[in-house]
Order: sequence, then structure tokens, then C-alpha cells
Amino acid sequence: MRIALEHLTKKFGHVVGVEDVSLDIRDGEFVAFLGPSGCGKTTTLLMVAGIYRPTAGIIRFGDRVMNQVAPKDRNIGMVFQSYALYPHMTVFGNIAYPLKLKKVPKQEQIARVQAVADKMGIGDLLDRRPGQLSGGQQQRVALGRALVKQPDVLLFDEPLSNLDARLRLVMRAEIKHLQKELGITSIYVTHDQVEAMTMADRIAVIQNGRLQAFDTPDDLYDRPKTLFIAGFVGNPPMNFVDVEIEQANGAYYAVSPALRVEVPPDRGAAAAAHGGRVVMGIRPEDITIDPTGAVRGRVFVVEPLGRDDLLDVELDAHTRLHVLADPKLKVGAGDPVLLKLDTQKVQFFDAATERSLLWQ
Amino acid sequence: MANQRSVVQDAGLAGEQGTAVLARSRRRTLRAQLTAYGFLAPAGILVILFFFIPMLLILFLSITNLSTTNFTTDIVRMLRSDLDIDLVSFRFVTDQPAYIVGFDNFERMFRDEFAPKILFNTLFYVFCTLAFFNVGLALVISLLTTHIDRRAGFFFRALWILPRITSPAVYVLMWRRIIAAAPFGILNQFNELAGRSEVNYYQDHPWVFVILVNGFIGASFGMIIFTSAIESIPKDLLNASLVDGSSVFQRIRYVILPLLRWPLLFVVTYQTLSLLTSFEYILLLTGGGPGLYQTEVWSLTAYNRALNTYFANAQWGYGSAFAVVLVIIGVVMAIVYMRAFRFNELVAEPKIEVL
Amino acid sequence: MATATPQHEPYMGSPADDLAFERISTGELVFQAVYSALVTVMLLEIGVIVFRVLEPLVHHAPALFGSGATIDETFTRTIGNALMTLAPFLAYAVAGHKMKPLASVNRARALGAALAAAAIVFVLVTMGQYVFRIGPFAERPSLEMTLRQTDAGILVEEVVSGGTADRAGIRPGDRITAIRRVEVTLAELNTAVRQSKVGDVIRLRVERGDEEEQFPVEVAATMEIRPAALVAGLVIALLFAAVAVFWPGGWTPYALLIAIMLPLAVGYLWLIIATFSFRTEGLLPVNAQGEVGGLTLRNWEFLWREATGSNPSIWRVTLNTLVIATAMMAIVLLVSSMAGYALSRMNFPGRRTFLSLTLILHGFPAVTLLIAIFFVLRNIGNIPVLGDYFGFNTRGGIALVMVAFELPLGVWLMKGFFDGIPWDIERSALIDGASRWRTFYEILLPQIRPGLLALGIFAFISGWGAYLIPQTYSIGTKTATLAVYINQLTSDTAPVNWNEIAAVGLFQMLPVFLLFIFAQEYLLNIYAGGTKGSS
Repeated sequence: MRIALEHLTKKFGHVVGVEDVSLDIRDGEFVAFLGPSGCGKTTTLLMVAGIYRPTAGIIRFGDRVMNQVAPKDRNIGMVFQSYALYPHMTVFGNIAYPLKLKKVPKQEQIARVQAVADKMGIGDLLDRRPGQLSGGQQQRVALGRALVKQPDVLLFDEPLSNLDARLRLVMRAEIKHLQKELGITSIYVTHDQVEAMTMADRIAVIQNGRLQAFDTPDDLYDRPKTLFIAGFVGNPPMNFVDVEIEQANGAYYAVSPALRVEVPPDRGAAAAAHGGRVVMGIRPEDITIDPTGAVRGRVFVVEPLGRDDLLDVELDAHTRLHVLADPKLKVGAGDPVLLKLDTQKVQFFDAATERSLLWQ
Repeated sequence: MANQRSVVQDAGLAGEQGTAVLARSRRRTLRAQLTAYGFLAPAGILVILFFFIPMLLILFLSITNLSTTNFTTDIVRMLRSDLDIDLVSFRFVTDQPAYIVGFDNFERMFRDEFAPKILFNTLFYVFCTLAFFNVGLALVISLLTTHIDRRAGFFFRALWILPRITSPAVYVLMWRRIIAAAPFGILNQFNELAGRSEVNYYQDHPWVFVILVNGFIGASFGMIIFTSAIESIPKDLLNASLVDGSSVFQRIRYVILPLLRWPLLFVVTYQTLSLLTSFEYILLLTGGGPGLYQTEVWSLTAYNRALNTYFANAQWGYGSAFAVVLVIIGVVMAIVYMRAFRFNELVAEPKIEVL
Repeated sequence: MATATPQHEPYMGSPADDLAFERISTGELVFQAVYSALVTVMLLEIGVIVFRVLEPLVHHAPALFGSGATIDETFTRTIGNALMTLAPFLAYAVAGHKMKPLASVNRARALGAALAAAAIVFVLVTMGQYVFRIGPFAERPSLEMTLRQTDAGILVEEVVSGGTADRAGIRPGDRITAIRRVEVTLAELNTAVRQSKVGDVIRLRVERGDEEEQFPVEVAATMEIRPAALVAGLVIALLFAAVAVFWPGGWTPYALLIAIMLPLAVGYLWLIIATFSFRTEGLLPVNAQGEVGGLTLRNWEFLWREATGSNPSIWRVTLNTLVIATAMMAIVLLVSSMAGYALSRMNFPGRRTFLSLTLILHGFPAVTLLIAIFFVLRNIGNIPVLGDYFGFNTRGGIALVMVAFELPLGVWLMKGFFDGIPWDIERSALIDGASRWRTFYEILLPQIRPGLLALGIFAFISGWGAYLIPQTYSIGTKTATLAVYINQLTSDTAPVNWNEIAAVGLFQMLPVFLLFIFAQEYLLNIYAGGTKGSS
């Protein structure tokens, strides 16, 4: 089922929840709505579900305008953050509820619920109540309930944020696998960019109710179109330094009081064409501690992440860089270090408009 | 609707399809609202029938001279009763129905030589019962029962609910027996044993008993509110004060009482209103006696004037004037009460907009 | 004993504190105890003074309201007197309590010190009472003569020389027979004296030899010191102090709870005794001859008595009450949960208005509308068909009024409970394909079961005990409810058997009491929901 949002806007009184969001979701596609909490992504999802009525704009499923269609007539399945299982019904009752409302014959209900439950690995829990299940099992019940009516669209509202880290990994893989297998168009709301990056075909980044970008995970990571996206996508986040571009001997240099590094000519040229001060972005994994490095700094804080150490390196009073370093180097707070910047993937943004100077 | 139209235009939906969407939208809004009103209707009808109409009616009755001698329930007829002819049947009306007398009842009420006494009685009664029992005693009981074994607390609170569920006639009978003259009275039996002379409690201390009888019932309301408020205080808070080495009294003074501010306000306002208007037990205990209007309160007067069939001539009009005073006090206090409860926080918008 | 202090017991001090007490000299300890005891007395006396000041205010304030207003008030005086009587005893207890820490290391020394302190406080308090002429030294109205009850009247045994009786001319050996023309016994005479004020004149009819004469005796105020009372006071003081030393702190709340419950306990004890007695005198069952005994079951005969004439069988009334209470519970639950749901979960024009009205009505005293509702019911009664079921003097009409009175509380409560349900559950149901109605009764109602239970019990209890509304809006029927039935019994023209009424009262109360015991925890919910947003 193709879903189209056209100039979708939602206001609560005078508060704008979502403003002018337009998206086109292809049939069978898995799309993530990514953004900080309160950015309007759940509001958008609830409009797609039919719980909220848009203040303006159109929602289409296929060619049909859905604005005035009741949720029950949209044939959607939805999984909530709190699972929203009906506590007074058994697992069977929960999963069968959509079928019961559709007046599916009892025998068929039993067969379909059993099939879905087996698929979800909860076939032997059918007569339990939600209160007796673990978080992961509840999540599977919620998923089963969304799937049992064979929906055209699946909606997920931060479904994994109540699970512990290990279980989240497992469920992430399962949901992705299931979605690909069934080929149901899905929208997945999350504030966790790792979830969005790993699961989605395309990610819609939303900030303050506005759509910032709608792209594949790779494009968002390597070709961020705005400063916000560059900073939001990627963990640990990208470093930003205010620089000026200097051109000497056919080479381009990014220069600030704290550093001076050579940048690739194509990127440097694009930035230089803008002229004046620009914002340079460089990811922590592109910076290494190297005796041959040209940038001098002092370690401010060390945060051991296990595989790497995340260093907060102070270059001068105004500039700090996040650096991923090998724990074997045993760098401590206060140590002077030399940094080498790999500028192959460096990004440049207009300081005023916060738009990328490289990608449009 | 203008909003909806712009939706359609924004999206570039024109012609037939746009019109269809608009029409469907209107129908759906209407249906959603009808559903809401459907849910509200039963409560709404009852509230209108037994709250709003009576409120208006009592204002109307208070400006008529309706009494047993000219009784009618036909309001329309009362409204035009200055005519001699019944317009509907074109017959001469032989009996004189009640008619509007303007503010005569209120004038009469203000001139009533006992009105000031009754008013003062009411204030005295409300203040004493509220201060000593409905709030004071209730607070003491709930503090005590929450500081002992939980099951024992439940037991004591259950006992305190007894007066509320005992039939008023029996409850009053019980108190009458406690204060009765020898040889029947319980207090006087103790007096006899202690070698003291008999006391006629009913004659000597009617107010003490009016207040006690009402107070022992009233205490349970505050008790339950305060108890549930105390029980809902986070255990961490109490533990923290324990760790700080506070004594029981310090904990009550500095942790519990400050947190009971809102429940206290609630009990005070709510109980003031209900004491102001309750007369059931005074009616049964003293009937306003033993002396002339000695323990008569305002609401009892209204009831006696208008509804008590014991006095052969019920004066609905005059009684209503007394009731109107209470209705006005009630509405004013209820509005204050609403303000006190931070109404705006309670009307958060619903988070579902479909039917 | 201070090592394992249970959580609810007051903080009693650590062993280290106790040892510190061991080192303080007994004299100093006693001094401290006396000091705190006296402070206690002073504080309570300040309370008494407040009430003493209040009293003239209560007496004279009515003047502000007009000439007709006076109040013959004894309530504040009663409280003041109670405080005054209580003060010394509390002081002795405080004196003993001060020795508690010491008691855990040296019992004998603690007891000795406590008794010494109590004795000193007693002497000081008694001196104070003498100076202010209060307590045992209070001046009371008296005729200043000693009397004894004889068969031939009240014999004057002694007359205080120069006293008021002496001045009036009464001599020892006179026999008092009456006050004016009313014959009196000694007890009645004493009552008359006690109730009179100083300066009143009591006209005693006196037999002297064969002559009869009237002597007007002015009531005087005398202070009567009874040494026995003083000794008893000292003993009580010592006893209080001693008990306070060894009184386990955890008992205090129980003792207080029992103390403040005493009037109720006595009352209900009487109620139970009375239902099994022929007659009662005080708390004692008495037979027809006035001797102790006379236990009987005849008060409970109403349980198997057939209906006769105007007296319906109790079981019919009970059934009726049960029907009314249950119906009322069901209707209140349905109507208020529907309205509460709409107010909590739906958006419609007028929602704010509805909400504020509910809240105002929640606080509005419905009883003031009794008169007007009478007219509404009479007018409903004029409507054909409908009026036969819901008009004045019909069960339906009474039920509707009772339901309406419960609604503001019920709607408000239900709204509070609905507010507490997560939105996602309802959204989920809507997406699963349920209508609003279906969501309401299949998904949401089961979630607020505690609230429904609480409101249901509340409504049932108020329906079961309903008295004022059925009494006011039905004419002369005993079938209405048990409460009305009881009330009608009391106004029977035939001689009233009060003990039977007590039995019916107990019979009516019992089921609800049991219900309450089992449901108390849910009832605590009701107010939590009802005052939501207030805390």
C-alpha cells in the first residue's frame, strides 16, 4: 500500500504539532520517523492511524483520501510503546480482538491467532494474561495483535524503548525480518537513530514539527543536507568547527584559530565558493591520535565505551573535538595529544542557513 | 469548516471529490458530537430535572404565597393567577390559587424575630462541628490509625463508619439513651454510681449533644479523605525523615501536615456546605428545641416551614425564601471551591479526535 | 528496649542517651520533669482561657445580630472544663514520661524520680487550684446545711452557723418536705440547688414539730473541701506518673483511639444489649419488675412476624430496600460512568461548561432543593403514563431523585478514573476496529473496576440507608426502605417498643457494616479519585 502525506499540518489550539509535512512512502517500504521527543513524529503517526484529524493537508492510502476514514476502516495494525495490551483479556483474547470485531467466525479466529502466535513464538502463552508476561513477550503479543488482521499498513510507535538493551537487539532484527517477509508498508517512529539506521529503508527526520530530510540511512550519514541532520545522525555526534577556507597552491585548507587542515579539493572548492566563515563537520571516527598529527590539543575527559575510548579533546578555549581512540593508547585526562584529521568525509555548512554546501 | 475547505484546496482537490470529502467531514464531526452527547444524555437529563429546574423553581416559589390552603402544582396558573378566569376552560375559578407576592416572603423573613437567632445558631453549629469533629477529630483519627498496625487501623476506621450507616432514627435513639434521665440514661447511671446527682443533659446542654451527634457522623468523611491522602504519601519521604532522625511528632508536623493542605481545604469547603444544609439529625434529636428555637438551624427552618407535614399548614413560599438563602450560599461557595481546585488543570484536551 | 524500635513507635532515644541520663543526678531529673509538667499545665490553661474568652463572645455576639438572638451555650464551656480537668492528669503523665529513658537502665530509680516529680506537681497544682478557687476548691451553690433523706421528708441534721440556712431561720431537726408546693426528695432538692445560681431564692416548705412553714433560703456559694478527694487526687497523680514511666510508646495511639471512641462504644454496646432485653436501665438489662435480668428474644420477633394490616413483613421491606439500593447502584454506575467517559475522553462543544457544572454541583448541597424537587415530582406526576412510574409518591420518582443526588460525585469520580487510563489502550482498540461504545464497555470499563466497585459500594450504602428522600417524597408508606420503616415505627400511635426499634436498626445496619469492612480498601480509592487534582 502506497502512503502519501501532502502538506500535512496539525495544530493543537495555537501550538503547532506538525507543519507542512509531505512524504511519499512506497508500497512495502519500511520508513522510520526519527526525531527528538516532542518533535511531532508520533502526532504524524497518529494522523496516519486516524486517531488525530489533520488541521490541513491530505493523507492518501493508494489513491484513496483517508482524512475522513475512521481508524477501524483503514485496515492498519499498530504497536504502541506501552504495548497497550488489554489487561483484562488473555493473550488469545488480545490477539483475537480485531478479528472478533470484524465478526470473523470463531474457528477461523482460533486458527489465525494460533498461526500468528506461533510465528511470534508465543504459541504456548495464549491463555496467560498480559500481567504475567515479560516485556519481550508482551511486545510479541502486541505485534501479533497488529498482524493478525493482515493489515495494509503497520505502524510502530517507539515499540522497543521499554525493552532492555539485549532484547532490543533481538526484536529489532525480528521486526525487520518480519516486515521484509510480509512486505507490509510500515512506519516506525523512534528517537533512537541506531534503530532507524539499522531497520529503515528510508528515514524521515523530523524536528519541531517540520520534515528535515527524507533519505536512505547511507545518504543521511554521508551526505547530510543540514547541520541538524549531520549532528543528529551518528553516534557519537559529528564535531563542528567554525572555519575559513584558504586556498594555496591548488590545495584547500580549513583554518580556525585552533587548527589548520587540508581538505579534499572538490569539497574545499564548494566551500570556498560560498566564501567567508563556514561550519566544518567531521565525525569522531575520522580523527585519530597520531604522533604525526598536526593538531595539538589536551584531553579534557575520557569516556570508556568498551571497544573505544571517547575523548573530549580541548584545542583552545572555544574548540573541543570528540575523538574515538584505541583504549590501548591509555590516554588520560590532562594528557597533551596530537590529532590527525582524515578529511575525506568532511562536511561544510552555511553558518547562517545551516544548509550543506556540498549536497542539495 | 473553513478549515476543512482550506485542507481540500491546499491539497489541490477540486470539483466533485473535494465536495464529497467536505460533506463526509461534516457528517463525521456531527456524528462524533452526537455520540458524546449520547453518553452525556442520561446524566444531563437527571441533572437538569433535579438540579437546574429546582434551582429556578425555588427562586420562583420564594416569591409566591403558596401554602397548604392555596396549594397547586400548576405553575402556569400561578403565573397568571391575578385573573379570575381560567383562560383554558373559560370558567370562573372558585378557589383562590397561590399567586406571586413579590419579595414579601423575604421581607417577612428579615423581620422574623427569630431569624437572627437561627442564623447565629447555624454559624455556631457549623463552626463548632467542623472545627472540633469534621476536621479536628477526623485528622486525629486518621493520624492515629495510620501510625498503628495496618489491620488495626482498618478496624478502627470501620468502627467510625458505623454512625454513618446506622439508621438515623436508631442512631439518635442511641444518643437519647446515653443522655436520658435516670434510671434509663447511661450517663446518669454512671453519675449514680459515682455518687453524683442526676443531670438533665438534654435540657442543660442541648448544643453539646447536637454537635456531638453530628460530629461523630461527620468525622468519618474527613477520616477517609485524610487517610487516603496520608497513605499516598511516598514512603521514600517518610523514610528520609526517619533517616534524618525525626520523632513521630516532627514527622507529622513537617512532612505529613504540609502535604495534607489540599485534602484539608477540600474537607473544609465540602463539609461546610453539607453542615450548612444538613438538618436530618437535629430534626430527629431536638427538632430545634428544647427551648424556643434553641437549636434550630437555617435549613431546618426551611424544611419545617415548607415540607414538615407535622405542622398542618405547610408554607412552601415562605420556606422557599429560607432555602433560597442556602442555595445562594451554596452556589457561591461551590464556585469558590471550584476555583480552589485549579479547574483549568482538570480540563486537558482529550487525545483522541475520532468518533 | 530501644534497640529494636519498630517503625511505628516513636523515637525513644538510643542506649547512649539512656546512659547519659544515668549520670544526671536524680534531683536534676525531678526538676526537669516538674518543669515540663508545669509547662504542660500552663499550655492547657492557656487553652482554657481561650475558651473562657470565647464564652462571653458566644454569649454576647448574638446582640450584633439583633435583639431576638441569644444563645444559651454550654458547648465551649464544656470543652474548657474538660481541658481544665484534663490538664493536671496530663501533667502527671508528662512527669512520668520524662523518666522513660532512665527506666530502660534503672527501673527503680526512674520510678522513684517519677513519683517524686508527680507529688511535687500535685502539690503545686493543688495550691494553684486553691488560689484560683477551681477544681476541688471551686465554689458551688449551696444552702449551707447537712441533710439526710428520711421517710418523713428530708431531715436537717446540721446548719452552718451564720450560713444562709441559719440566717433564713432553719434549725437542725427541721424536716424539709417541698419546694413551694412541689414535694421533693433529697436528690431532687440537690438538683434544684445545683441548677440554681448564687443569689436565687429557694422557698423550702419545712415541717417543724406539727407546724408547717415556708422559709425563703438564698442560695450561697460555698467551698467545700473534702480531704478524701484530695487524697484520691494524689493517688491518681502517682498512679499516672508510674504508668507513664512504663507505658509502651506503641500503646498510646490505641489508648487515644479507644478513648475518643468511648461514646460510640457505649452507645453501640447499649444498642446490642437493648435488642436482647425486656427493658434497659443504663447499660443493664432489666425485667418487668425492675430487677437486673429479663433477657429476651422478643425484640427480634419482627424477623418472623407475618404482615398485619399497616405493618408489612420485615422481609418485604428488606427486599424493597435491597431492590432500591441495587437499582440505584446500577443506575448510578451506568449513568455516571457514561458521563465521566464523555467528559474525560471526548471532545465536543460545551465540554468545558459541562465539566465546570459537574464540579460546581459536586460541591453544591442538593438538600436545599428538596422543596423545589417536590414540585418537579408533582409535575412529572401529571404527565400521563410516565407520571405513574416517576411522579410524586412513586418508587421510580424516589429512585431518580436519589440517583440524581449521587451523580455529581459519581461523574466526577468516574472522570478521574478514566483520566488515569493510558490513551494508547483506547487508541489501540479504535485501530483494532472497535466503536466508541464498544471501546467504552469492552475495554475501558474493565480497567476502572476499582473505581466502579468503590462508587458502587458508596451508592449502595446510601441507597440502603436512604431516609430523607423516601420519607419526604412518599406518603405514609412503611414499605419504602428500612430506614423509613424504622422511622415510622417510632411515630406509631401504639406504644413504641424502643428495644424492637433498636433490633430493627441493628438488622438494617449489619449487612452494610460487613460490606464496608470488606470493601474499605476500595472505599479509600473513591476519595483518592474524588479529590484527584487537589493534591
